[in-house]
Amino acid sequence: MKYFLRRIGYFLLTLWAAITLNFLIPRLQPGDPAELMIRQISGRDTEIDPARIEAMRVMLGQPDGNLFEQYLAYLGQLARGDFGYSYTYFPATVTDVIGRALLWTLVLVGVTLVLSFVLGTVLGAFAAWWRNSPFDSIVTLGSTFVGTLQSFWVALLLLFVFGYVLGWFPTAGGYEASMPGLNLEFLLDAVKHSVLPAAVLMLLGPVGWVLGMRNTMILNLGEDYIRLARAKGVPDKQIALRYAARNALLPSVTGLAMALGGILGGQILIETTFDYPGLGRLMQQAASGKDYPLLQALLLFTIVGTLVANLVADMLYGVLDPRARKAA
Amino acid sequence: MKRRTLLATGPLAAALVAGTAACSGQIQTNQGGGAATSGDGTTIPQLTFPAEVAENVAGITNFNPFSPNVTSKNYFYEPIMIRSSMNCEVVPWIATEFAWKDDTTLVFTIRDGVTWSDGKPLTPDDVAFTLNLRKQYPAADDIGLWNDVFGAPAESVEVDGQDVVISFSGLAAAKFDSLITAKVLPQHVWEDAGDPTQHVDEKPVGSGPFDLGSYNGRRLQLTRREDYWQADKVKVQELILEGNYDATNAALKLTAGDLDAFWGEIPNPEQAFASKDEKLNHFWYAPAGSTVLTYNLTKSPFDDAKLREAISQGLDKDEISAKATYSVMKPASQTGLKLPYAENLLPDSYKDQETVLPFDTAKAEELLDAAGYAKGSDGFRTLPDGSAFAPKFLVQAGWIDYQAAADVVVRNLQTMGINASVQTSPPEAVDQAKKDADFDMCLEYLHGGCEVARNLGSKLASDQVPTKDTVKANVGRWEDAHTDEIVAELSGETDPEKQKALTGELVEIMMTQYPVTCLFYAPARMIYRTDKAEGWPSEEDPYGTNSEMLMIITRLVPPSAS
Repeated sequence: MKYFLRRIGYFLLTLWAAITLNFLIPRLQPGDPAELMIRQISGRDTEIDPARIEAMRVMLGQPDGNLFEQYLAYLGQLARGDFGYSYTYFPATVTDVIGRALLWTLVLVGVTLVLSFVLGTVLGAFAAWWRNSPFDSIVTLGSTFVGTLQSFWVALLLLFVFGYVLGWFPTAGGYEASMPGLNLEFLLDAVKHSVLPAAVLMLLGPVGWVLGMRNTMILNLGEDYIRLARAKGVPDKQIALRYAARNALLPSVTGLAMALGGILGGQILIETTFDYPGLGRLMQQAASGKDYPLLQALLLFTIVGTLVANLVADMLYGVLDPRARKAA
Repeated sequence: MKRRTLLATGPLAAALVAGTAACSGQIQTNQGGGAATSGDGTTIPQLTFPAEVAENVAGITNFNPFSPNVTSKNYFYEPIMIRSSMNCEVVPWIATEFAWKDDTTLVFTIRDGVTWSDGKPLTPDDVAFTLNLRKQYPAADDIGLWNDVFGAPAESVEVDGQDVVISFSGLAAAKFDSLITAKVLPQHVWEDAGDPTQHVDEKPVGSGPFDLGSYNGRRLQLTRREDYWQADKVKVQELILEGNYDATNAALKLTAGDLDAFWGEIPNPEQAFASKDEKLNHFWYAPAGSTVLTYNLTKSPFDDAKLREAISQGLDKDEISAKATYSVMKPASQTGLKLPYAENLLPDSYKDQETVLPFDTAKAEELLDAAGYAKGSDGFRTLPDGSAFAPKFLVQAGWIDYQAAADVVVRNLQTMGINASVQTSPPEAVDQAKKDADFDMCLEYLHGGCEVARNLGSKLASDQVPTKDTVKANVGRWEDAHTDEIVAELSGETDPEKQKALTGELVEIMMTQYPVTCLFYAPARMIYRTDKAEGWPSEEDPYGTNSEMLMIITRLVPPSAS
């Protein structure tokens, strides 16, 4: 019990620190959102009408009070789940804007993440089992090579080849001609648009899992209990899957939980490259547009997502592996 | 990163697309008129423009003109009047005419027979409502009607028959240009909306030329209104607003005919677009204002007019505009006016005279020698008191044209013996430096709008000096009582002849004191195809530019059969 209380204590402390940093950092940045917004709307070399900046300031609302009062107000708002208005999408609220982008990222990143995990783990397990075989060499070397590639570079390459040269897939956006909603036309449209970004994620995603799984499993295969199992005459297949793989899976599960928590941050580079309407692109736009309320909420979601996932993983670990509970 | 890579691939893809486009063009000419794209010859079936909303997350639909992210700002709600930014003519629109009854009273006569898209008539009450709404909700006062931005605040807006009468508490002539851009709203729809800036307007009831067809978050389809008050001038049956394009993509879409016009940045439109089909592909980069070199006049030695004159003489404006704009834009006149469009404002003494300063290094060196900036043993000049002089030229990182211009400027400065260097910073940091007067030299935009008091005037007026938290126009901090008087008088002046005389005095200051040095014109871009529509603004017919899209729509006609 003490173990769980302690984890929750850590969780709350980190959460508080995250919220406080999240509040402070945007306020240390130079630039006035009202001015920036007018500038963005009107473009670079255009007349900036002071009246419009003035109106925009009133519209967005100036923060009241000193930094500490603002901080208290911010905490109060968070407690109520009120993230305020987005500057860029005014008068839409932050919650509304995030809600629109959420599903795109959850589906794209979520699905590819789970598939990458399954694929990577299976490949890693077999590579470890058939250690030093041609299969192992191909998988390990292949992953190492692919792992050195930058995601945006792969994205650009696929975009160029399949989007521009071959023209098989659309080059930008989440959908095109169809009306959003639960109809076949829209779903097909959306799937077509997500093929390229998903391909990038599927190409790069499994790498970490492959290498992680292979290495832990090789360690496990050298353990005494495997030798015992062999001595007992347990069939190879059973040793590989039930004994070694199962134990080797533990660290990967933690990793998966953390990665799932991180989904909320989206895939900034990939979503931006494909102009995909998910959370990653939203975060990039919020950052470049100085949309503090939106940016803060997105960062907060990412942090809270990761923290919660971490907590869950810790708890699970405690359940799965009694040693972790004892040691703590 | 994306942009750079695509640029490299652009020519290849563009060549492919251009090939197909040329073929289809030929077929059309053989058929004599091209029935497929130009309809029955009296209408334009469909045009495609880029989306007006910059960043949309799965389509937040809001036609509220006060929203920073309005889905379409041009075609539903119409302004009171339109002043062409090119020839400065005030074009009657919702108001048929305006008059300054006296120095502080402005009267608009509202057009009879304008209807809202729900069939109700547009009345002077709607116009008064629109303006009075800004009094009740200061956040909506984007034209500065009720505050003291560029003139005295309004005291009242009243309806008198077919007229709307605005009384100001003082001189307010300089408010006119922004005042007429106010979008007239239907009172019967908006009076219950509460704070107009927070209203979500999904079904616009406007007076404009189009009805909302459909919108799926990316593609906005507008259909022509039969009962639009000047429907006879609108030939476009359907207007599609779709997509946000970078330069490369826009050039590709334009060349392929998927886009009929574009006004975003395409750095080299001749090479990227126009050269692909000389007959159909056109562009017109009109001067919108000037890119100027601004000195920090609060810092020695930039407070020395002799130094500024020498620098102004020693800069190669032709090369600067060649490097920064591929020579698409011409070197700018030192008068601060955009010529030849603002020629009527030029004082007689400068008529027919070259006002773009010639590039003359020898003269620059002569001036510097005479002013006491002696060359040291290292070849660099020192200040008259003998101390070192190494100014920093602050440039926005990532603004490629500014960086290119700054490179040439610094090279020119080095040639005349001034040890200048470029210092790049993120645009926000440059803004901050402007507020804090923490720079030696920087590049800036001087708007060439019709109201000189607001543009050249505010660049030189001491009440337009940036404060700690607001960037205003007078970044160089030109503070001069005489100039202030001229600007103040000019902002209250409604008589064109007197406006011209006062503008002349500002021009004189620019030509003799060099508060800023004008380098090259900054563009208002129009890039378009003429296979589906003609009548776009051009150098030959400069009636407006991309800030007057509503006016352009009423001027477009089907292509002539030739």
